[in-house]
Amino acid sequence: MSNANVGLNRKEKAPATLIEMCSVRLGSTLFGVPITHILEIVGGARPQPVPLAPQFVGGLVHYRGDVLTTVSLRHLLQLPPRDGPQDILVLESTGGCFGLLVDSVGEVLTVSSVDYEPNPSILDERRRALFVGAYKLKDSLLVMLDPERLDPVRLDPVLLDQTRTGRLQHPAIQAA
Amino acid sequence: MALDELTREFLIESQEGLDRMERCLTELEERPEDAGLIGDIFRSVHTIKGTTGFLGFKRLEKLAHAGENLLGLLREGKLTADRPITTGLLELMDGLRSILKSIEVEASEGDGEDTVLIGRLEELQIPVHAHAIAGRSKGLNRALPEVEHVHISEPLPAEAALPSAAVQVVVPASNPSQGKPAGDGDGEVAKARVQTAGTAAESTLRVDVTLLNRMMNLVGELVLTRNQVLQATAKDPSLTLLTRRLDMVTADLRESVMKARMQPVSNIFSKMPRIVRDLSQMLGRKVRLQMEGQETELDKSLLEAIKDPLTHAVRNSLDHGIEPPDVRLAAGKDPEGTLRLRAVQEGSHVVIEVSDDGAGIAVEKVRQKAVERGLITAEKAAHLVERELLQLVFLPGFSTAAAVTNVSGRGVGMDVVKTNVEKIGGKVEIDSHPGKGTTLRLRIPLTLAIIPALIVHSVEQSFALPQGALSELVHVPPEQAATAIEWMEGAPLYRLRGKLLPLVFLDRLLMPESVHKGSTEKDNFIAVLNADGRQFGLVVDGLADPEEIVVKPLSTVLKNIGLYSGATVLGNADLALILDPGSIALKAGVTMSSDEKTGRGADAEIESEAAKNPEYLLVEVAGRQAAVPLADVLRIEQVQISRIEYIGYRPVLNFEGQLLPVEDTGGVLAAAQGDLETPGSSATQIIVVVCREGNRQVGIAVSHVLDVAAGGELFEAGTRTRAGGVTLLKNRVTGVVDLSGVPPLPVEESANGEWGQLTNEIVEAAR
Repeated sequence: MSNANVGLNRKEKAPATLIEMCSVRLGSTLFGVPITHILEIVGGARPQPVPLAPQFVGGLVHYRGDVLTTVSLRHLLQLPPRDGPQDILVLESTGGCFGLLVDSVGEVLTVSSVDYEPNPSILDERRRALFVGAYKLKDSLLVMLDPERLDPVRLDPVLLDQTRTGRLQHPAIQAA
Repeated sequence: MALDELTREFLIESQEGLDRMERCLTELEERPEDAGLIGDIFRSVHTIKGTTGFLGFKRLEKLAHAGENLLGLLREGKLTADRPITTGLLELMDGLRSILKSIEVEASEGDGEDTVLIGRLEELQIPVHAHAIAGRSKGLNRALPEVEHVHISEPLPAEAALPSAAVQVVVPASNPSQGKPAGDGDGEVAKARVQTAGTAAESTLRVDVTLLNRMMNLVGELVLTRNQVLQATAKDPSLTLLTRRLDMVTADLRESVMKARMQPVSNIFSKMPRIVRDLSQMLGRKVRLQMEGQETELDKSLLEAIKDPLTHAVRNSLDHGIEPPDVRLAAGKDPEGTLRLRAVQEGSHVVIEVSDDGAGIAVEKVRQKAVERGLITAEKAAHLVERELLQLVFLPGFSTAAAVTNVSGRGVGMDVVKTNVEKIGGKVEIDSHPGKGTTLRLRIPLTLAIIPALIVHSVEQSFALPQGALSELVHVPPEQAATAIEWMEGAPLYRLRGKLLPLVFLDRLLMPESVHKGSTEKDNFIAVLNADGRQFGLVVDGLADPEEIVVKPLSTVLKNIGLYSGATVLGNADLALILDPGSIALKAGVTMSSDEKTGRGADAEIESEAAKNPEYLLVEVAGRQAAVPLADVLRIEQVQISRIEYIGYRPVLNFEGQLLPVEDTGGVLAAAQGDLETPGSSATQIIVVVCREGNRQVGIAVSHVLDVAAGGELFEAGTRTRAGGVTLLKNRVTGVVDLSGVPPLPVEESANGEWGQLTNEIVEAAR
């Protein structure tokens, strides 16, 4: 059924735009970040942990003379942390630059806008907030990540740190 | 409509001209006869008028022209700059400013009318003595300025036609018309000034601030890279010369770039006379403003940042500090109050003082108001001592003013001053004596970007501790921890020279959920910190070397944690978070207790005692106690026993390529080495106290470093002869180590120079 729809769409909205995505595999899922948002890929980094930081913060890395805050994709998805060096996608969002910690970066895939589908309603709330939707590849799905949504400034520590009740995380207490 | 290059340049130049005019005007009030000042003001206005002609700003030209006429009369000595005239000129300046502003923002002059102002300026051209007879023959006197008007404006077009040469032309041309005996001399001074101004313009260059910021960042990067290179090549002697050169060039470059960003505080001080003048008129005060140290320089961004706090402080002094003249007279004071602005550089800080000789702060009133406004509870207020009560004025929402005035009293003053100054890493101190006056001290760091810091270790990470807050370091080895660190119902304390110091364990603070090693299981280093008047000890697991660190900003998420003021990259390329001592104190609940006041008093006593009696480092050498003059101690090193080498029978320490003779009369080394040979012994480290002796350095092997104490003099019984070589430490007769007795090494030894400098810095920091 969806195939028929796509066929229909293709006729209506011609021509389809092609988007280049940098693919990232984490667990069994393939994620993609539009390469236009990636400043650089830093391999084999060991971020310096920041005590008392919200848990989604993967630590700090030195990047071109600046100190970059990284966000751990594993933690965002509530996956167990992984030892050893990780790759960092240096992303640009309206709030500035930040790093996205991933297990490893794969190849660049070209996807077509006609293969896009929004987040399904049965996806859990946390993931719905993080993902933009998915692109249908031939035999799998490519989950699209939007740097704007992953920006540590916008991530809500209270929502994401439900497991922790440390008083330091709550912004209201910090302000007091 | 975007501004073209010419207009923009005109705006910048005019602003500078008006700034100069403002400075001169306030000086003119004190020296109304100063021809040089009037000449300067005239030139500023004249240049604006001349250029507006080209650019076609009619409104500006008209106003400037009216001002120029008045100034022309002043310059010729036909009028003297009395108070109404200065007021008029200040208004002229404001008028010109507002039109310039409108050109800058809207690219047009705006449609305001200046007829009132121009009328006033024309009225002022009537000489004062003419006012008296104005009633009798009004028409005649009216005609008088008319005549002069023609007279003075005649040569002007000629000057205006040569705007670039105008500056050179004006002063000599005005000479003959001055007609005063002193005129020639004045003219020469003015000429000389014009010439210096000319050469200054040739040798200076306008640089975009963003470019300077970028340069500063790049230099910061270079400093980091240098640190890394220095560490990486430390073991390779073939690179020593090169790295040393790199080190020097980097340091020079850094200093030059920092200097390029420096501006004299006169840039903001110069705004104050006007503010003081206007406010004192508005509030009915008589105030004399004194300014000192205007040439003191500060980083431009910091200068910008303290502009508002300083203005606030000045307003406060005028409104709440200095009393109205009648009140002052009644109190037996000079009806004219004095407001003093003073800037002075103290080490790596610039201190800006705003002091007045006004009423001072009535601490009882502060207590009462703070309770009234619900800022603190009545019980708490009753316990506060004077120094703490003064701190209350910095609370948000505090004001003692009986009525809210136009100027201040809304309770948003001092807290703004404090927060703004602290934002840039500065401090605010207040000192007040009822009836005598108040002094507000703003302590501003010279620069933001690079600070000296001590690198400490905790939770298996490195952290940077700014040395500004560090007052001393105490080492508590595991075997002493059980007795040295005392617990009072869960509160860890350390007796620092007899006074209880609250302790904060960094590992427990940073990782409250994990289990940490007890203090008896590891070495404890207590960094004694002073943050906003709160003294506490921060316990860390280890110390590394002090480093000059480049402060990198943190993202908002991490800034919000509230413990870190930034991050930095260390010489070994590791990242380190910069700890903020003030926030740590706050998070850990260290507050100013009333005990601290008494403790401080005791401290002061000890200090004054120390001034009389020299302080000694009390050490234990193989079971006996000995004293080393603290003034000579450069640093205390813990070294592996295997690093001690021997030249003949003399033990030496090869330290960073320099040879240090180690004095071991107590047999500490021998004992430790004996231990080493015994299987199962753990004593692999010894402590070497590095001392300065003349221009060389010597090490003294000791078993333990016990304390620092002031020594007492001892006299031989029955005589007033002071006993040599001994001192009274903690009521025990203790031998003083004779440093000059350490024989020099049989080599060409030069343990001074850079290393000496380095260790000096470290000890400075450790104090």
